[in-house]
Amino acid sequence: MFEAIKGRRSVRKYKTEPVDREIVKKLLDAARWAPSGGNIQPWLFIVIDDPKVLDVIRKISPGYFGEAPLAILVCSNKERAYKVGGALGRDYLTVADCAMAVQNMLLAAYALGLGTCVVKSFSHTAIKEVLAIPEGIEPELLVIVGHPNQTSRPPPRIPMNEIVHLNKYGEKFPGLEG
Amino acid sequence: MSNKSDGNDYLFEIAVFLATSARNCIDEPPLYGPFRLLDALSKIADLPKYAPCLKDDPFLQEIKAFADEKKFLVMYGAEEFKKALDEIVEMFAKELKKRYLEKQKETG
Repeated sequence: MFEAIKGRRSVRKYKTEPVDREIVKKLLDAARWAPSGGNIQPWLFIVIDDPKVLDVIRKISPGYFGEAPLAILVCSNKERAYKVGGALGRDYLTVADCAMAVQNMLLAAYALGLGTCVVKSFSHTAIKEVLAIPEGIEPELLVIVGHPNQTSRPPPRIPMNEIVHLNKYGEKFPGLEG
Repeated sequence: MSNKSDGNDYLFEIAVFLATSARNCIDEPPLYGPFRLLDALSKIADLPKYAPCLKDDPFLQEIKAFADEKKFLVMYGAEEFKKALDEIVEMFAKELKKRYLEKQKETG
């Protein structure tokens, strides 16, 4: 697990080899087992593997790099979230819950030898139009999936001693790296 | 996978990229503005591949290769990314001199 957490990178170059649908099912199953506030499970997933649709999605997503054969749009069901979780559920928990589902998906993909990249830089308006997404369903994150053709060096991390506090804000946690 | 059959398709693709980038840049991190412009530069450099009326420009291909190699530095910190942008501008400045000043000297 720790190897997956630290080894996963955002992949921006892919082979054209398709991703088997049985593998896709495993990724989606991992995603739906994420925790969610009040067990709302606000997520829903639009799997895009039609090359024509994928090409249009790529065109309206400036953050979509590489020609990966698969993308999964993670959406939130705002109506369901509001019914169960009120405004907090609709406005905040849906975003946090979908992010946790996506992280499950990323780690599962890594474990299966696949590369991924999470994209928020897509046109919200255009993606709703192109994928016929109804009102009340909101696109949250686009996960690009494919067989990696290149990996990158890890981006720097803020040192632990700058982000961790012990018992109260400002108190150092002893022994953390500088 | 990509269905760029001719120059018009490719031009349309660049136009969509610019429009969606313009909208997204309002909400995205400030460095994403220059990042998208650099990516647009890389895309524009490919236009001769799809529009036979344009001649391939080796200098723009060199710039494209450099931009594609360096653009993701934006994920690693502002300084490295800024340095790469400065290098690109310097490459353009030298090319401008070569194309428009040194050439004029020769002919003038």
